[in-house]
Amino acid sequence: MNKTLEEVVSIEFNRQIGIDTCLMGFRSTSLASLAKPGQFLMIHLGRETKDPLLRRPFSIHGIKDKNKLMILYRIIGKGTSLLSTFKEGDPISVIGPLGNGFNLPRPNERTLFVAGGMGIAPLFFLTQVLNEVQKHKFKMFLGFPTSQEVVLLDQLKDLNVDLSLTTEDGSLGIKGLVTDLLDQYLGQRLTKRPVIYACGPTPMLKKIAQKSFTFNLKCYVSLEGSMACGLGICQGCAVKAANSKDKPYYYVCQDGPVFPAEMIDWEVM
Amino acid sequence: MVSSPNLSVEIGGLKLKNPVITASGTFGYGNELIPFYDPSLLGAIIVKGLSLRPMPGNPPPRIVETPCGLLNAIGLANIGIETFIEEKLPFLSKINTPIITNIYGHTIKDYAKMAKRIESVDRIAAIEINISCPNVEEGGMAFGTDPDIAAMVTDQVVKNTTKPVIVKLTPNVTDITIIAKAVESAGAKAISVTNTFLGMAVDVATRRPKLANITGGLSGPAIKPMALYLVHKVVANVKIPVIGLGGIMDYRDALEFLLVGARAIQVGTANLINPKTAMEIVNSLTDFCVREKISNINQIIGGLKVNGENHEKGGDKKNK
Repeated sequence: MNKTLEEVVSIEFNRQIGIDTCLMGFRSTSLASLAKPGQFLMIHLGRETKDPLLRRPFSIHGIKDKNKLMILYRIIGKGTSLLSTFKEGDPISVIGPLGNGFNLPRPNERTLFVAGGMGIAPLFFLTQVLNEVQKHKFKMFLGFPTSQEVVLLDQLKDLNVDLSLTTEDGSLGIKGLVTDLLDQYLGQRLTKRPVIYACGPTPMLKKIAQKSFTFNLKCYVSLEGSMACGLGICQGCAVKAANSKDKPYYYVCQDGPVFPAEMIDWEVM
Repeated sequence: MVSSPNLSVEIGGLKLKNPVITASGTFGYGNELIPFYDPSLLGAIIVKGLSLRPMPGNPPPRIVETPCGLLNAIGLANIGIETFIEEKLPFLSKINTPIITNIYGHTIKDYAKMAKRIESVDRIAAIEINISCPNVEEGGMAFGTDPDIAAMVTDQVVKNTTKPVIVKLTPNVTDITIIAKAVESAGAKAISVTNTFLGMAVDVATRRPKLANITGGLSGPAIKPMALYLVHKVVANVKIPVIGLGGIMDYRDALEFLLVGARAIQVGTANLINPKTAMEIVNSLTDFCVREKISNINQIIGGLKVNGENHEKGGDKKNK
């Protein structure tokens, strides 16, 4: 079992970096030393707050100076709206690191990252970690609805990323979806078969998973799930297992959030 | 000056070091919250509801948050009683506090079989019968809304065990006292009030229910006033101890339940948000007693003052 901590941390920064998109950082040497790419945190929105009631899960977006953790989030509801009002110095309770995290690729393995919207959050951390150990460029397909939502381009340039950007309306980068790029890419004759790491909306992940089956590629997806605790207790975050004989459902918080695509029953997703 | 107040209470012959118990389904099988504190500090632990055979649970989405509440339709996903005894109990046995199993059956026979199985397991201190789960098709709440069937289930469990039997009631009935009296007559040693309230939530954009099960059970602070009222009502109508639960988030909530007459309380949804809640309630109750110069927690239980008088047979006079 992974080591899990509950810590009250002090927010170092919490700023808007794009339309409705925020980057938050806080200091915790212990959490930073434990965190692996693909793992997540359960963040409490204030001890006296009963509405919103539950903690919110956030992927770890990156680590800085070995003692700072960052999360990237979009303001989409009551919880994230409230979170966006937190100021430097405010205390928040964080539980983590939770979940399994990504299996790192082997040193000479070709990797392909596919991120949709906030799906970039855990993949950014993964590229950050891989950047320290691998020399070759990582191919990444990153998609947003419009240019207004696009974030992190400069930061990704600092990492060793060969980035292809898409927007659905074509207002920046290539017009279309990241899955269109994947189609084109896999349509070429590839000298080396890539391992796919994907995170984003479920319909996108479903398409990518199916592609990976067609081309017989190893594919890891990081899933989202409605969860109350993140600790394997509430059993809220169930996803149907592909081979349900042994285990009918997996729990995103404990068995995931990263799954080899073939473990999931995509028919019902 | 009271240095260390006595927090111990007794529930149907079971002595608890304090009145704080974890509610079924919110403390897993005991090991999940170990990183956060030593569960031996608690009055008792009620583990996740068990059935005779493993149950997969409902399709997702299984949970949705509503204002101050958590709506769930987990569907009693569990590993089954045998796997629990083999794999989970050895760990739980190391915890120095009573372990209570919560059991659920599809049929009355299931309950009897499980009671018999548990009878042979020394480390299990008591049985809580779940006749109140709103998220399963058969058994569950269907048994808890009919006084005769509720009594039959209780009777079958009581006949097959010498351990104290606690019955967990559903609030989804017109008059909870009828069910409470029925299970008391059938031999229940205590009653847990209350399980979740039936509810639903709709996604306006898709026009679909937010839960795959369509309906779910509501828990959390949203239900506390209603749960408190039901405890108040049941306390006035039975002689056996009542364990209060429903939206308890901190020691003040716990005190409200104790004041209306609950002999002990269960912490549920709050465990999912702050895993240390139950332990913090134990500590805060101790501090409260010291501050208020209360030497024994039993002085608080049932201490509700109505028109300047202590509430004894409180009932719901005002509503009549």
